[in-house]
Amino acid sequence: MTILLSAEKLSKRFGGLQAVADVDLEVRHGEICSVIGPNGAGKTTLFNLISGVLPPTAGRLVFEGRSLEGVRPWHFARLGIGRTFQNLALFRHGTVVENMLTGHHVHMRANVLEAVVHLGRARREEIAARRRIEGIIEFLEMEHVRDAVVGTLSYGQQKRVELGRALACEPKLLLLDEMVSGMNREETEDIARFVLDIRDQLGVTIVMIEHDMRIVMDISDRVHVINFGRKIAEGAPSEVKANPAVLEAYLGTNHGEPPGAAPAPTTVKPSRVSAHVGG
Amino acid sequence: MRSGTYKETYGELIALTDSRLVWFWGAALMVVLAAAPYLVNAYVLSLMTIMLITVVGALGLNILTGYTGLISLGHVGFLVSGAYGYAVVVSRWGLPPLAGFVAAGVVPAALSLVVGAPSLRLRGLYLAITTLAFAFIIDNLILQAGPLTNGARGITVERPDMLGLSFASDAAFSHLCLAAAILTLFGTLNLRRSRIGRALVAIRDNDIAARAMGINLNAYKLLAFVTSAFVTGIAGALYGINLSYVSVEGFPFLLSIEALAILIVGGLGSPLGAILGTIFIMLLPEVTGSLLRLFGTQAEALFSTGAQELKSTLYGLVIILFLRFEPGGLVRIWHDVRRLWVHWPLRF
Repeated sequence: MTILLSAEKLSKRFGGLQAVADVDLEVRHGEICSVIGPNGAGKTTLFNLISGVLPPTAGRLVFEGRSLEGVRPWHFARLGIGRTFQNLALFRHGTVVENMLTGHHVHMRANVLEAVVHLGRARREEIAARRRIEGIIEFLEMEHVRDAVVGTLSYGQQKRVELGRALACEPKLLLLDEMVSGMNREETEDIARFVLDIRDQLGVTIVMIEHDMRIVMDISDRVHVINFGRKIAEGAPSEVKANPAVLEAYLGTNHGEPPGAAPAPTTVKPSRVSAHVGG
Repeated sequence: MRSGTYKETYGELIALTDSRLVWFWGAALMVVLAAAPYLVNAYVLSLMTIMLITVVGALGLNILTGYTGLISLGHVGFLVSGAYGYAVVVSRWGLPPLAGFVAAGVVPAALSLVVGAPSLRLRGLYLAITTLAFAFIIDNLILQAGPLTNGARGITVERPDMLGLSFASDAAFSHLCLAAAILTLFGTLNLRRSRIGRALVAIRDNDIAARAMGINLNAYKLLAFVTSAFVTGIAGALYGINLSYVSVEGFPFLLSIEALAILIVGGLGSPLGAILGTIFIMLLPEVTGSLLRLFGTQAEALFSTGAQELKSTLYGLVIILFLRFEPGGLVRIWHDVRRLWVHWPLRF
């Protein structure tokens, strides 16, 4: 598999706080990859760097073989990097359809004059966009709320609108920031199913930040672990689960065995990790 | 009772309204407004003309303050520069009125880039103060640029002859204003349902998310300024023609407040709200005046001597009352009434 996104020595400093430090990261085409780490580890800052919300202080990002250095923040969507936000960032006065159409912005061309008369290209484009959005609404099973104002929807459904809005960007790389936080088991499983379908049917590569270890261990191809802004481990879910450095980051040294001792870490079940992190 | 609706094409999904009744009553209203000049007396006709011009201006401000969420107190600056754009081009340079209207839009649009550019990083109160300063700067520039603008003496403007029609009579001029109001209404409605309108609203609701969707915040904020100033400038030209005399005194700062009051009372961000707000705000002093007249000659004298003060007091009062009791404005009340009407006796 070819590499879609790579980060080389990516760093972000806020004054005296080193939020992200020398992170190397590779995301391959068609991969579902998770970024985990304790609260405040710098995961969301890493996402903000990858999606152009913040410029890095050092290091560089390469997307599809092209350096993202100097690319303006609003061009990231056009390049094919879409994202959702940890705390809902919807356009809350708009309907579900309007929110998703806004996500389709970069794929439309009409200028002000065309928009004002709403004939010709502007109209054709609107109809085509609406057809795309209806496809996404069907995909996410949201037909019954398509005309609802998003502010009136439940939290789980608003998260789903965010997902739909990001999909309307038609991204090659989709960044999902804590999609399932605050969701019950059924909603979480729905999202897991959507994430797999997005990869398998739409061919979108996915990077997700998650605290819910069940979804991380079940659907990720690779897991990256971050602590205090540094990457401390990387690998398949089972490898990461057994990594002493990861256990130390999550559970503290008292819980870990001395290095080189018996393979005790395997006795730590994912549910125990998630219970600890969720608290 | 009406049943649910379904659509067969995607084109129907993006229509302005799927209700034939709305088109029917809209057309009926247009016919009434077009016939009104021949049926009502001169005072009512002048009030109607002013209201139509105000609708154009309010819809212009709505693009910036309603859609994009950028508060402007400087729109009187765009009004006055639009009026002077028209007056200089038509009355002083003798060019055709159509060129005058183009200038009335383009001059404020160009000026809006000057005030818009430094405003890109400002929001809320700071932006309001910047635009407020702009309005006063424009006034002073006009007073200083005597050779072009005649300074404090102002410029006399005639009613236009254009497109082979004469708009000299009161009735014909009100038709011109009606046409301008209808065109602006459909223009802003279309703008709202386009990618550009959605981008502006996205900036208002969540600018970080808007940028992540690929919207260039600076470019779209400037676009909102330019479009809003263009429309407001056209309203300014019509206002100037209606006064038949363009001067700085003809465009008091109160007009900016009036425009904001219209949007707040009508419902921010809604073209229908801008129209309802215009009707409410313009009729408010008239209705209050008639009520005061009931209290005898002394109250009437108070009304005629302190008309401006009374107006500002009333605007302030209704802004406070609406913000406190119905922040959604008249358009929200209208939607609630309509829902009740359609669904009664069910709750929804």
